[in-house]
Amino acid sequence: MAQYDLIVIGSGPGGYVAAERAGRMGKKVLLIERDQLGGVCTNHGCIPTKSLLNAAKLYRHARESQAMGIVAQSVSFDLATAMAWKRQTVETLRNGIQFLVKSAKVDVVFGEAQCIDPHRVAVGETIYDGKYLIVATGSSPAIPPIQGVDLPHVLTSDDILEIDSIPDSLVIIGGGVIGIEFASFFSSLGTKVSVIEMLDEIVPLMDVEFAKLLRRDMKGVEFYLGCTVKAIDKDGVHFVDAKGKSTTIAAELVLLSVGRRPNLSALEQLDLAVDRTGVIVDERMRTNIPNVYAIGDVNGRSLLAHSASRMAEVAVSNIFGTDRQRMRYHAIPWAVYGIPEAAGCGLTEQEGNKSARNIVTATTQMRANGRFLAEQGKRSAGLCKVVVDAQTQAIVGIHLLGPYSSEIIWGAAALIEAELRVQDVQEIVFPHPSVSEVIKDTIMALAANKT
Amino acid sequence: MASNVVMPKLGNTVDSCIILDWKVREGDTVSQGDVLCEAETDKSTVEVESTASGVVLQILYGPGEEVPVMQPIAIIGEKGEQFVLSETASAKQEEQEKETVQKQSKPVVDRMPSKSAVSPRARKTAQEKAIDIASLDIQGSGAKGRVIERDVLAAVQSGVRLTPAARQVVAESGLNVPTQGTGIGGRILVSDVLAQNKPIQKTDEEFPGPYVETYLKGVRKVTAKRMHESIATTAQLTIHAYARATALQTLRSRFKQSDERWALKNVTINDMLLFAVSRTLLRFPALNSHFLGDRLVSFDHVHLGCAVDTEKGLYVPVIRYADTRTLRSLSEETKRLASLCNEGKAGPEQLSGGTFTVTNLGPFGVESFTPIVNIPEVAILGIGTITMRPIMGDNDEVSFVPHIGLSLTIDHQAVDGAPAARFLSSLCEAIASFDLLLAQ
Repeated sequence: MAQYDLIVIGSGPGGYVAAERAGRMGKKVLLIERDQLGGVCTNHGCIPTKSLLNAAKLYRHARESQAMGIVAQSVSFDLATAMAWKRQTVETLRNGIQFLVKSAKVDVVFGEAQCIDPHRVAVGETIYDGKYLIVATGSSPAIPPIQGVDLPHVLTSDDILEIDSIPDSLVIIGGGVIGIEFASFFSSLGTKVSVIEMLDEIVPLMDVEFAKLLRRDMKGVEFYLGCTVKAIDKDGVHFVDAKGKSTTIAAELVLLSVGRRPNLSALEQLDLAVDRTGVIVDERMRTNIPNVYAIGDVNGRSLLAHSASRMAEVAVSNIFGTDRQRMRYHAIPWAVYGIPEAAGCGLTEQEGNKSARNIVTATTQMRANGRFLAEQGKRSAGLCKVVVDAQTQAIVGIHLLGPYSSEIIWGAAALIEAELRVQDVQEIVFPHPSVSEVIKDTIMALAANKT
Repeated sequence: MASNVVMPKLGNTVDSCIILDWKVREGDTVSQGDVLCEAETDKSTVEVESTASGVVLQILYGPGEEVPVMQPIAIIGEKGEQFVLSETASAKQEEQEKETVQKQSKPVVDRMPSKSAVSPRARKTAQEKAIDIASLDIQGSGAKGRVIERDVLAAVQSGVRLTPAARQVVAESGLNVPTQGTGIGGRILVSDVLAQNKPIQKTDEEFPGPYVETYLKGVRKVTAKRMHESIATTAQLTIHAYARATALQTLRSRFKQSDERWALKNVTINDMLLFAVSRTLLRFPALNSHFLGDRLVSFDHVHLGCAVDTEKGLYVPVIRYADTRTLRSLSEETKRLASLCNEGKAGPEQLSGGTFTVTNLGPFGVESFTPIVNIPEVAILGIGTITMRPIMGDNDEVSFVPHIGLSLTIDHQAVDGAPAARFLSSLCEAIASFDLLLAQ
């Protein structure tokens, strides 16, 4: 029986980072993957969708940039080529991960893992023995208990990335990040897209003001908010609104994007404490079993690839290094790669108002920003909101809607992590012209308000 | 004539000081009262003045070294004067030389200073300046890499550890700064400052000094609860007596010398006392009882609890039907239960159901004490050590006779003093005539 210092189950952005870090520390590490290296992020999530979304954005810009002098005739979108590009991207990244774990001297085994006890994991007939276990089994699309979800035209986000023709109509059930990104993609290609959301607003993690603006800016998409889907059949999707009115929308394809569920099947034989969102962990990623740690989607604390990677570092550090590393959730940036993009970090105004602290906010329109105006024009949607603590003037939240948001938002994480105050950020020089200046301008507005 | 300058005693609690910096060098001329060096105690930094005038002939300790108070640190005399190191000083020098040899041969393993390698003053300064010594990868500049105050001060200057917002909160609120932060690179966040909100903490380091906090668990926790419950809910009274132990001692040596086949070699005096208690109790059912608030339950049989000291704490396994056992069986059962407790294998089956308890501090030389009743039992017997007591004989002659101390604690709610005393007196008789008791 092979003896390992660490066994990692799942090779997504949590698992492979954990394996690689521990491997580089000279530990004997086993990485178990049932599908392909890279997990959902690389193979069915972040990466393939970014590839397709960028293609859709270019296609749309080509058709919609007459005002800037671009006259493009007979522009078309070839899904097969876009899919090939996507495939190539994914393969390249996967090879990169393979190289990375190999250079960290991590053993990789492909197969379905089954934990026998906190120290032993079976893959097929082989049993591996590990001093520590990091569970990074990720999550899968949740399938709601709705009649008709098993029909062939009802797809999850995994399935819809493999389609070979663009549907004429698509109904998306669930207006979260995944739903909105696919809505952007398909509506850009000319599909008639409808989004049915149970809550009163799309993208719950987003500032309400921003969500509303994003929704309004997605002109090709019909939104049905506060609606509950009752059934799906070949005529379409049947749902009722808050007032009880029934509606049916015809759909060539239906996408289920109502959330994700932790993958717990490999862990059934462990007595892991689990709650509604996943395996219960503390801020050091420890579970109730002393040598077992759980990172990424499977613990449900923050369903983001970069959260998983950070959790991996925290877990490995706590196992083999210092116990001082903890997971901080208050400054994890997120991004929605729709058209337009949105990104945020820290408290929203709504969360701030609900919390015990007093907050002050300022919001600015991006069209006041030079580069934004030059590239997008004065009619495009763009917003920046900054939330600060009223007592300390420390930045506690930054929210962006507009191009490059996803590339700018890391700066917000830095400001929040460093607990810089309004007056501190005033001393930082932002490049001009850039959309990022909108952050400084908004913060300046807060400083002006104060005096 | 050369004279020694000693490390002054800088307070009643100061045993040693660390030399920080010499202000003079060997060969310098000094007058009485001149500052020779700076030294650090756990409470302050002091200047050590010369107690003699002359030339510094030899400096005995280098900077960073810890010197016991009243120990010579320098020798002052006339230039070129030959001097003899006082005994302690020369011993110190030899030791130093030895140490140098060892130092050279010993490979450097640990770079991180261990906890003990931080001077008390450095630790105190670190706390005041919100420096977490353990998190700093600093090599102390004191002897053997000991971290002293100046190392901490250097660390304070080199690192900004509070976030701007946290610093502002500290400035505005006057809250203490925690030593550890949870932000990037251990930076101290506003939340860390607020979480640390314990205003009175400053004197921690000075008094009562370092301490270890151990949360109660397992046997300790149970014992704590049971003892308090006993004292809080009973009216305890302890009476003492001494029983003639001659018969016990005679029998004990007989057992020791007896042939293997009797299997009596291991019967101890404690076993004999348990035997005597189990037999005597039968005549005093009021003491072989449970007090249940509104009623007294007296038992026909004696289930004897016997306190056992283990590494994990106090266990009281119960010898069931002690009153029906022979001395040998009782002895074997006592040993079996004690080893179960020591191995941590005793369960509720062995640890419950007692009707009376015996606890023995005799082996530690204790003569008498006040045991605490193991509720709901109503009495507990403490056994002390055997001492020689003067006894006046029939013809007024005094002889010294071995006696064993007995301390009986009763719950006065359930039993009165007189019946308890009667029981104790009967027990003394039984012990004094143990050979007869055995034959009964």
